[in-house]
Amino acid sequence: MSVRLADEPIAAERELAELTAGLTGEGAVVSFLGVARARSPEGEEVERLLLEHHPRLTMRSLEEIAASASERFGLSSLRIVHRRGAVAPGETIVFAAAAAVHRRAAFDAVDYMMDRLKTDAVFWKREDMREGSNWVEPSEEDREARARWSEAPCPE
Amino acid sequence: MPATGGKGIVRIGFFGRLRDALGDECEVPAERGETVARLRTRLAGLHPGAAGDLLSPGVRAFVADEAVGEDFLLAGQERVEFLPPLSGG
Repeated sequence: MSVRLADEPIAAERELAELTAGLTGEGAVVSFLGVARARSPEGEEVERLLLEHHPRLTMRSLEEIAASASERFGLSSLRIVHRRGAVAPGETIVFAAAAAVHRRAAFDAVDYMMDRLKTDAVFWKREDMREGSNWVEPSEEDREARARWSEAPCPE
Repeated sequence: MPATGGKGIVRIGFFGRLRDALGDECEVPAERGETVARLRTRLAGLHPGAAGDLLSPGVRAFVADEAVGEDFLLAGQERVEFLPPLSGG
């Protein structure tokens, strides 16, 4: 399990190569890139995205999400690399990848990690436009996506 | 250690939109028997422009990296952090 914060652009090919180099017979690797959009939801041109983090709670949240994914989907290997600080439109914000024996677990694990990252990762995102800034909060769609993975208590 | 009539200092850390408004950190003299709720009210009085966020239930208080409730009693030495709603990654 590899989780880290990155100050510089993420080299996705290298991250994927490092993950696959450590495989020990798994049959499936799924990776996902989240990329900074050039426009806000309101259609304004975004000059940069600022990803503010907490010095300890951010890594704790990423590690918890990774550990949960690993346990839930029986992963043999996973990797999360997340940018912090200023991110330009078109740059990768997050790289998330999972390796598993079979493909379904790998697909589901990355889907799960991204839904959790979009709502539970300790970041504050600010879109800086030519005029003005906007602090971002998860959308209703993000919250609904996160809720798909909630574990309802078993009836007695 | 309990506050001794204002001799202690409470350090307060801000994140997200609160950091934009108030900076990374500020310090206020400790008040004996102060709760998180009372500290919020005191800060809101000092920074009326950020009062809406400081008093918002969506802005959570943390001490020693753990979320604390509004009735959490401050000892007058700690750093209290106010975390606005998360944006996610």
